[in-house]
Amino acid sequence: MASNLFAQIAQVLTVVLLSPLLQGFINKMEERVQRSEGPSLLQPYRDLRKLFSKQLVVPETATWLFWLTPILAIVAVLTVPLLIPVLTNYPLPLSDMGDILGSGLILTLASFLINLAALDSGSAYGGIGASRSVMLTILSEPILILVFVAITLMAHSMLPFVVNHLLVEQPPVYWGATHLFLVLAFFILLLVETDRLPIHSSTHIEIYMIGEARVLEYAGPLLGLLRWASMMKQFILYIIFCNVLTMPWGLSTTGVPIGLAGAILGVAMKFALIGLAVVVVETVQARLRFYRYQEPLAAGFLMAVLAIVANQL
Amino acid sequence: MEFTHLGAMAEALFSLLTVGSLMLAFVMLGSRWLKDYMYAFAAQSWLIAALSACVAYYGDFHELYGVALLTAVFRGVLLPYMILHILRRLKVRRELLGYMRPSSSLVFGAFLVILALGVAVHITGALGLAGSNVIVLALTVMLSMKLIGFLMLIVRHEAVSQILGLLVLENGIFLGSQILVPGMPMMIELVILFDLLVAVACFGVLVRYLMVHVGSTSSRHMKRLTG
Amino acid sequence: MTDTLLILLLGTTLPAPLAIVLVMIDRNPRHVGMINLIASLTTLVFALPLPFVVGDGSPQWLEGYLFIDALGAWVMLCVSVVYALSSIYALGYMTLDGEPERLPGFYALFAAFAETMLLAPLVNNLGAYWIAIELTTLVSTFLVGFERGAESIEAAWKYIIIVSAGISLSLLGTILLYWAGSMEAGPTYNLTWETLAELAPRMDPTLLRLGFLLLLVGYGTKVGLAPMHTWLPDAHSEGPTPVSAMLSGALLNTAMLGIVRPLHAMDHAGQGSVAHGVLIVIGLFSLTIAALFIISQRHVKRLMAYSSVEHMGIIALGFGFGGAAGIAGALYHMLNHSIAKPLMFFGAGNAMKRYGTSDMNRLRGLRHAFPATIWLWLAGAVAITGAPPFGLFRSEWHILVAGIHGEYRFAVILMLVLLIVIFIGFLNHFRLMIYDGKALPEPTGPVPGFACRLPMWPAAAALLILGLWWPQGLQTLFNHIIDGFR
Repeated sequence: MASNLFAQIAQVLTVVLLSPLLQGFINKMEERVQRSEGPSLLQPYRDLRKLFSKQLVVPETATWLFWLTPILAIVAVLTVPLLIPVLTNYPLPLSDMGDILGSGLILTLASFLINLAALDSGSAYGGIGASRSVMLTILSEPILILVFVAITLMAHSMLPFVVNHLLVEQPPVYWGATHLFLVLAFFILLLVETDRLPIHSSTHIEIYMIGEARVLEYAGPLLGLLRWASMMKQFILYIIFCNVLTMPWGLSTTGVPIGLAGAILGVAMKFALIGLAVVVVETVQARLRFYRYQEPLAAGFLMAVLAIVANQL
Repeated sequence: MEFTHLGAMAEALFSLLTVGSLMLAFVMLGSRWLKDYMYAFAAQSWLIAALSACVAYYGDFHELYGVALLTAVFRGVLLPYMILHILRRLKVRRELLGYMRPSSSLVFGAFLVILALGVAVHITGALGLAGSNVIVLALTVMLSMKLIGFLMLIVRHEAVSQILGLLVLENGIFLGSQILVPGMPMMIELVILFDLLVAVACFGVLVRYLMVHVGSTSSRHMKRLTG
Repeated sequence: MTDTLLILLLGTTLPAPLAIVLVMIDRNPRHVGMINLIASLTTLVFALPLPFVVGDGSPQWLEGYLFIDALGAWVMLCVSVVYALSSIYALGYMTLDGEPERLPGFYALFAAFAETMLLAPLVNNLGAYWIAIELTTLVSTFLVGFERGAESIEAAWKYIIIVSAGISLSLLGTILLYWAGSMEAGPTYNLTWETLAELAPRMDPTLLRLGFLLLLVGYGTKVGLAPMHTWLPDAHSEGPTPVSAMLSGALLNTAMLGIVRPLHAMDHAGQGSVAHGVLIVIGLFSLTIAALFIISQRHVKRLMAYSSVEHMGIIALGFGFGGAAGIAGALYHMLNHSIAKPLMFFGAGNAMKRYGTSDMNRLRGLRHAFPATIWLWLAGAVAITGAPPFGLFRSEWHILVAGIHGEYRFAVILMLVLLIVIFIGFLNHFRLMIYDGKALPEPTGPVPGFACRLPMWPAAAALLILGLWWPQGLQTLFNHIIDGFR
């Protein structure tokens, strides 16, 4: 039992501590692909430290929601690593609090709270950011639900651990059409949720911002919390993509500390691969106009439907 | 019935090839560039040729190896080459202002696939073959490729897209016939193949006449005959 | 396979390819018309006794891929009648275009078109029949677009796209039927029309129904049944007149075979009520559409084209009502329509060429034009709307009787109402064209030559004779076909 508790804490700590590293890796690789030097891998850590040491500035028109949102967002994002296979491929205690659908809902809760907080202080940019990101959510949520339906049909269960075991043990299911289309649909969702091109790019021009405009009013530690929450959300989505769907191997089976360390290394390697793939996708495309966001999302919807069809209800 | 009891790996392979062809039909539906249509069609023909070879291997229909080869050569290489030839003479490179924009037609196409699935499940249920994965999948993909081909004919206004819509219709039927009736006399399949070649040659000539006499290959400009 | 039958068959199917070869070798514009004419007359001479010699046998050869039966021979007779009449007319018509160097190509395509229509009823295998129909489409597209104007090319494009899409549905139906049959007969067998009828009772009913409906919709596109008829007015009105006559009088009958033969299989399997019901509904819908578009028509050739839709609807109703009277009526109607429709197109073509317009509002006072043939044209109009004493009246009468016997009261009443509406609408146009107005419009073309007027006489005469006399030989032939349907 102690080792299970240790493993569970280790999972959460991995997510907390390694998510800025993933962000730094992606940023650096984007620049390296274009033959420039790029920031250091540890730059996000330095940014977070800077933010946490700054003075807190709060708008006069903000209410309690303004304070509460970053805290709730971090808590929501911290809950999810308990439920999904980060380092181990067997269910740990407290992981039957929720399944994949539950994880998805918790992440959406965090996003919802940030939308509310954006409207809270009454600034125009907050309104723009909130409405645009809600529109994106409307377009991408159906795909998310369909992906979950497809996973359930494929594995006859919503628990990520069951899916993981199924894919490891049965190569025909892994190479079957359902699984491959699921991977493609989830990849498109990944690009949308983590704000990668062709949906969005990090830009300093306020008119073009989608999700960043929501947090323009935040400064100091609260901003640090929000940035960390978004990095952790990215990390979690990558975990679900890799450990549950695409590369379900390399997870610790017994929970021994050596196994956990090896699992961390495995996670690092898998993320390097996926990160490179995302960087390639970003580099070859330009940003789409807002009205054309439905095109990649329609393609994702289609992939999800094909995955369901291929499964033979 | 041939393919009611296949090994799991073979089933996965069949599924992959058929649904891959369907996905390429969607690529054609969701794209605006005429050259993309053509490449997607060529890739789809190659996938169907690979499917023929699989059917020949798992079902011991050895003449289907020849059919697979001819499909790959004629439908996969020769027909796209002829269409490329037509495309080179056209002034237009892509479809603008269709009746339904590509993303909407993708979603509509997804609903058509669900409809085809419903019909396929109903048919195989009536036949008592409901347990067989590959048969239901083949029927679904065949019917949905037909529906998507018709959708392409409806919402696209360029002549070349309509030709490709017709070819997708034929591809869908061919895919279905490979899995459902692999024993069909070879002669019929071969003659249908050659017939398709002749048809595309006729289309090429007609497109040239369209360019010369009507001035455009878009059906938006062909509205002189009414009533 | 008796020798007489063999000689008759060769005499029917060989002249047209020979004509193609000769036309390609000798490209003199003055000769090519005559070559085609001789070929078509030879075909007619050999095709006339063909249905009567076949009788009730159905011999096959070439490993069962080709066969001949009474129904197919009847269709071949209709095709050769139209071929002959159109070839005579083409002699006079095509020279008026003023492009003699294109004539060899025209006549080669023309003869090829006739040949594909003559071969289609001979084909035994469902898949091969599909290929034959596709070939007729490919050849006739270039004939429709022969005049190389913007409208002609548009009509040709619409024709080939709509019809190719439509008959791909019937290919799907063929595959489904083959699949259904393969559950009984093994994976490899020859799906001939007879095999289809034999296997039908043992096929799964859902698949059989689905296959039949797909065949109906697919070949129905080619026949011109509404709502799949949208290519028909364009293609029939934009081609040169001899081509319009061939398309209307011959091709539609050939495609009808693709519906009638599976109907026989459905009857065998006990699913006849569904098949007949759908056929009746489609026939009535075709009549409705034809009636609506005939009333408000302005283009004289499109008027004739919608009349073709009407008559195909009547034939569909005849086969849908079924029974001895229905089938006999439908078959007789095929022949009468094949004689009457070219007559109508020839008259329209003469008027269009002489006065340079196809707008019926501008063609007035025609009673002062073409001295004798204008009355033949009027007689054809009366005939084609189904009035006595012409042949179409008898066939429609038989079909109505069949409807009453089969207890399809509502359908019969609706059919009668629509026929009356079409009668009034169609003849109203002719009343205005021939009797209304004091003076003719300005002529812009030459008076139609002898060859353009000649074929109208035998056509009108044949219509009159067939209306007054139902020969016993024909009745025996129809009985053979009806027995084949039981």
